[in-house]
Parts: sequence; C-alpha cells; structure tokens
Amino acid sequence: MSHPEQGLRVLKHSLRSRLFHWGLILGFMPAAITGFILWLKLGSDDFVNLAMKIHIVGAVIFTVSSLLYVIVAFDRVIAFVRLIWTWDDRDIGWMLTGGGYPQKMLLGKEIDVPPMDKLNSGQKIFGICVSIGGLLLIVTGWILYSFIPLAPKAFIHGADLVHMAFGVFLGLFMFVHIFLGLYNWSEFKAMFGDGTQLLSEVEHHNPLYAANKLERATHPDADEPIGVPSCKVE
Amino acid sequence: MAHYDYVEKAVNVSRREFLGMVGVAGAILWTGAYAATDLVQDRNKYIKMRAQGIYKDDVKAKVRQSHHNPGLKDMYQKFAGQPLSPLAEELFHTRYIDRTRLG
Repeated sequence: MSHPEQGLRVLKHSLRSRLFHWGLILGFMPAAITGFILWLKLGSDDFVNLAMKIHIVGAVIFTVSSLLYVIVAFDRVIAFVRLIWTWDDRDIGWMLTGGGYPQKMLLGKEIDVPPMDKLNSGQKIFGICVSIGGLLLIVTGWILYSFIPLAPKAFIHGADLVHMAFGVFLGLFMFVHIFLGLYNWSEFKAMFGDGTQLLSEVEHHNPLYAANKLERATHPDADEPIGVPSCKVE
Repeated sequence: MAHYDYVEKAVNVSRREFLGMVGVAGAILWTGAYAATDLVQDRNKYIKMRAQGIYKDDVKAKVRQSHHNPGLKDMYQKFAGQPLSPLAEELFHTRYIDRTRLG
C-alpha cells in the first residue's frame, strides 16, 4: 500500500490482529444485529427464523476467530490483558476529562489530557467489557444451543438472561466503538489497511506507547512477518 | 505490503501469566466437560428410572393394551361409534405442526 503522507510509520496492528478484527466484523457484528432482531422479534416469523440462522453462523465465526487468536497470537492476548488491567493516576485524569473528546466534539477546543499507552482509559474499559462479556456470550450461547433439552430449566433460564443482558450491552457498545473508530480516522485506516500509522499520530494519541514500547524495525521495507510469534516465555 | 519504520517490542510472557491463562482456559473447559457429562449421565439415569417405572406399572396392570381399556370401549360403544369414525376423527385426530421453525 502506498502512503502519500510523508513521515515515519509504525506497525500498530499486526496481520494477526487485523485478521481477528475481521473475524469479529464477520462474526460478532451479524450476531449482535440479529440478536437484537431475535430479542425484539422484529419482523415476520420467516424473518426471525432467518435471523436465528445468521445468529448461529455469526456465533461460529466469532468463537472460532477468538479461539484461533488466543492460539496464534498468545503474546498479543497477554499484552492486551496486561494493558486493560493496568490503571494509575493518569487513567483517573483521563476519565475525569473524558479524554478531551466532549470538549473537542461539542465545543471544538482541544484540552491537555494525561498521556496514554496503546489503549486509552476508555478503550481499556471497552477491552475489559469485551473480554469478559465476550467469553460469557460464547459460553452461554453454546449452552443455549446445545443443552436446552438436557439441562435444568432454571439453569437454562439463567444462561438466557446472562446471554441477553451481555448481548444487549455489548451490542450497544459495538455501535459506540464503530462511531469512535470512524471519528479517529487514522486508526480506522490502520486497522482496515496495512496496520500502520504515522509516528507523529501515534505520538499524539499514544505518547507512552511511542516512548516505551516501540523499537526500530530491523528491515523497514521488509514484508510483515506473518504468523511469526514474537513472544518469549521466561 | 506494509512498509513501516517502527514495531512494537516483543512481549515477554512470564511463567505466571502463561500458567494463569492456561489455568483459566482449563477451568472453563473442565467445568464445561463436567457439566455436560453430568447432564447426560443424569438424563440417562432418569430415562432408565422412568422406563423401569413404566414396566413395573405394566406388570401390575390388569389391562395392558389401550384397546382393551373398558372406559375406552364404553366411550366408543355409547358415543364415537368405532375407532377412525368421522366423529372420532374430528375429535381425536391431531394435526402436524412444524416445530422445527425457530421463529
């Protein structure tokens, strides 16, 4: 991919992460949209029946993508889990200012916000909700698919409630995520493009990440190392 | 193909983190497998108990076939004529409903 913008570039999202993101788009997104259709019974019986079929196919893609990502990108999962559960005073400051987004969106002025790592505090909250909620959705979803004739009714009812509550919550969260992704256009281009972002943009949005977690690529023009795990177990 | 100047440093996964993740995955799989096998075992147990109960009732019963049921015979004699008569068809015949449709 050619880059008309001049400047140094950072590989922010590896191919493994971008493929997983596509897995979520093709799996979670249809499952979430059809989940709302099933919940609210929008449309005729035939339409709701079709929605259930799409919901199940989406669930398969979502589950397989998640399992594959944990296996082939274990280091990225660990880095993600570490980051979303690491909170300090900077996160409190970021939350108190809303990351400067309300001021920027509503008043059109930019304010100073505490420096952030690869994920800002809002994204960390999103990450916590998605990782726990996603796991619960997968587990309860397959319980509902497989064990309704076998399991006690109270258990199935509980699984149904958990599935619905987290489904609605994460489904609505997804729309917020899409909006913020489009709002932060360079991030959107990185995730849906070649995974790279200008260093100047990374330094602006993720100064701690730029300062502490980046290193010079040994072969800047080399093809991206596909499927080569970069983790070491100590 | 991607052209870039900087990459993220390699992530060193500690033994504690590795074991933690494997532990969580193992706990989920073990709990799921235990719950599934427990449900199937319970189901098989209840099916066997139910079948034994039915056989026991059957052994004790004086009339073992439904068409020898005196109440039923009486009903046909006084009311519905004979099995598959038009009135019996109208009152007792059930219609097929496709319940495989999820909606």
